[in-house]
Amino acid sequence: MTRPRRDPRAERASIQVAGEARPRFDRTARRTGSGRPRRDPRAERAGQRVAAEARPRYDLSQTVRFDAAVITEAQPKAAAAASPKILVLDDPAFLVAVVPDAPGGRLSSHDRQVLGAARALAGREGGVAILTLGACEGVGPAGADRWLPLDAVEGYDPATQAARVAAALTALAPRHILFPESLDGGDLARRVAVRMGEPLFTNAEVVAANGLVRPAKGRRVEQRIAPGLLSTVAPDAVAEYGGPPREARPLPVEAEAPTQGSKRIVSAARVPADPATVPLALAEFVASAGNGITDLDTFRQVVAALRATPGASRVLCDAGLMPRHTQVGASGTVLAATCYFALGISGAPQHLQGVAGCEHVVAVNTDLHAAMIERAGLAIVQDAQAVMPALLKLLVQEAQGTGDETA
Amino acid sequence: MTIVVLLSAGRHPVSGAPVLPRMEAQAIRIAASLGEAVGLHAGPDAEAVREALGLGLTRIEHIALPEGLDPVPALSARLAALAPDLVLAGRRSQGGAESGVVPYALAEALDLLLIPDVVAVSGGADTLTLDQSLGRGALRRVSVRGPVLATVHPDAAAPHAYAFGKARRGAVELVGAAATGVDVPQAIVEERPYRRRPKLVKGAPTGGSAAERLKAATGEGGSAAKGRLLVEPDPEEAAREILAHLRQIGVLAGPTKSNS
Ligand SMILES: Cc1cc2nc3c(=O)[nH]c(=O)nc-3n(C[C@H](O)[C@H](O)[C@H](O)COP(=O)(O)OP(=O)(O)OC[C@H]3O[C@@H](n4cnc5c(N)ncnc54)[C@H](O)[C@@H]3O)c2cc1C
Repeated sequence: MTRPRRDPRAERASIQVAGEARPRFDRTARRTGSGRPRRDPRAERAGQRVAAEARPRYDLSQTVRFDAAVITEAQPKAAAAASPKILVLDDPAFLVAVVPDAPGGRLSSHDRQVLGAARALAGREGGVAILTLGACEGVGPAGADRWLPLDAVEGYDPATQAARVAAALTALAPRHILFPESLDGGDLARRVAVRMGEPLFTNAEVVAANGLVRPAKGRRVEQRIAPGLLSTVAPDAVAEYGGPPREARPLPVEAEAPTQGSKRIVSAARVPADPATVPLALAEFVASAGNGITDLDTFRQVVAALRATPGASRVLCDAGLMPRHTQVGASGTVLAATCYFALGISGAPQHLQGVAGCEHVVAVNTDLHAAMIERAGLAIVQDAQAVMPALLKLLVQEAQGTGDETA
Repeated sequence: MTIVVLLSAGRHPVSGAPVLPRMEAQAIRIAASLGEAVGLHAGPDAEAVREALGLGLTRIEHIALPEGLDPVPALSARLAALAPDLVLAGRRSQGGAESGVVPYALAEALDLLLIPDVVAVSGGADTLTLDQSLGRGALRRVSVRGPVLATVHPDAAAPHAYAFGKARRGAVELVGAAATGVDVPQAIVEERPYRRRPKLVKGAPTGGSAAERLKAATGEGGSAAKGRLLVEPDPEEAAREILAHLRQIGVLAGPTKSNS
């Protein structure tokens, strides 16, 4: 690069203020032509910043002239966040149907992932239709454009339910149908598949418009296929829908004649898991004792009163105070519990590994600096030996109190 | 009571060696507790299922079927002839496509009642009681009448130990070859070596930074980040807080009525 040679005399002449007897020069005027103005890297960087995003992002393709004033866009972000606009898709080119489990009328995280997968298949033109059995809440924010609420089948009658779903799906005629690969969802998907006489692509781990991928042959190979009519989606494989809420416009359901279920199922009753005997790895709520607990009788009473599954740290299992199968941690059981209640446990790394998957942790420990206290959502620095009887007393009081009210 | 256990030629998930799938071994244990059972296998070679004889079956019927054909027509024809009261199968095959559709196709073809994910079966020929797994140790107890096809869940009791003497005494009978030519139109499937994909991090914000994802993965971003710390509270106060917190999470039921 060559630079033109500077001519100091001409420069001086150019900034001379005209019309004065005495030569005066205006040195504040920006020099043009020769010489380079000073860069302002901060202003340049700020000019490249993409507006309307909380996380700083920079558009490096945008080169700002360093001597020009940086234009910062006004941020319309706050207004957008205040009222999330509901996306309305009036005339979808095709539909992708989702049949969620929706246990208890609420979408599970697996259901949301399936809706995310359906959104990926639908792309810009397609719409996502959700087909729920019974009431269900929050389908619009999870990414559904259309909503087909069917009546739930009373009792346990999976065949009738599958017939109803298959009939509704045939009437809806979507391009793809997705189910969650869960106990109930997988069962329903297979029943619907044999009813409709269509092949089913099970347990898809990748869902995209250009292909579905599933593991096969003991996870030694993976099979890829162009998206067909029926597929099930593996848990924790596809991200949930993260965009603005969608309309979930209810679709009219033509009232089909209630198909009479076969009388072959005489009765069906739910037997809840017995927390005292359920394997630790399956338990929902685990209460554990550590080296800080000396009164194990009270601990066992507390566990029974809370309807929790008993656990222990390795110290207690090694000492023979608790059975070995109750040990939580790297060399014991890795938990999948929703809540973990730790009494007198320091929270050694080997122990915390077993708790890593627990969503909620409650800890009671005398040591403010214990790792367990740091991990816990509710941490109580207190003698566990005193808290346990208090818990028992309170539980008994509550039981009696409500008993008296009803009596 | 006639009981049939459907047997498949599985592959060991690690070594790839021929093996009887564990869920079918569990099915044999369930069947053996109810009475005499017969195994049924459709495939090119019965050697793959010989192991089942050592696990509690005394007789296996084998339908010779060329490799790669759909076994459902052959199996349903034989099942229709046997007219069993209970058919047991694994919930998924092992080493093949692992789609678990065969029991459903059989139930549809024979108009059988299908109960999936069973962990235990009891009762007699007219009414059977099946315990169905609902996950996390919860069960659904279903009483059924008439012939039923049940698939077995891995939470069922562990299979019996293999007994060599029984395996030698048992018999595999060839019950005829299936009509060939029932070739199912296969969808075009492209196969390649399995590639592990990154597991989804639960609770991580979409489009969040790496630091946010790390926080979500280590659990610091969850309830722990906004955790409450009570230093030296009154034990009664601590107990109240704990119960309120457990109820808010939903793992503890509300105050129960003890004497009502
Ligand atoms: C290879 C290897 C594998 C291991 N695997 C495991 C495993 O799988 N599972 C496991 O648990 N451990 C395992 N350990 C052991 C682990 O390292 C710890 O030693 C163990 O977890 C500590 O148990 P703890 O918290 O009960 O006991 P401590 O570390 O002694 O902690 C006791 C805690 O109780 C508190 N405390 C004392 N008195 C009271 C009171 N009155 N009220 C309230 N709190 C009180 C103390 O402040 C302290 O924090 C393993 C170790 C090794 C080397």
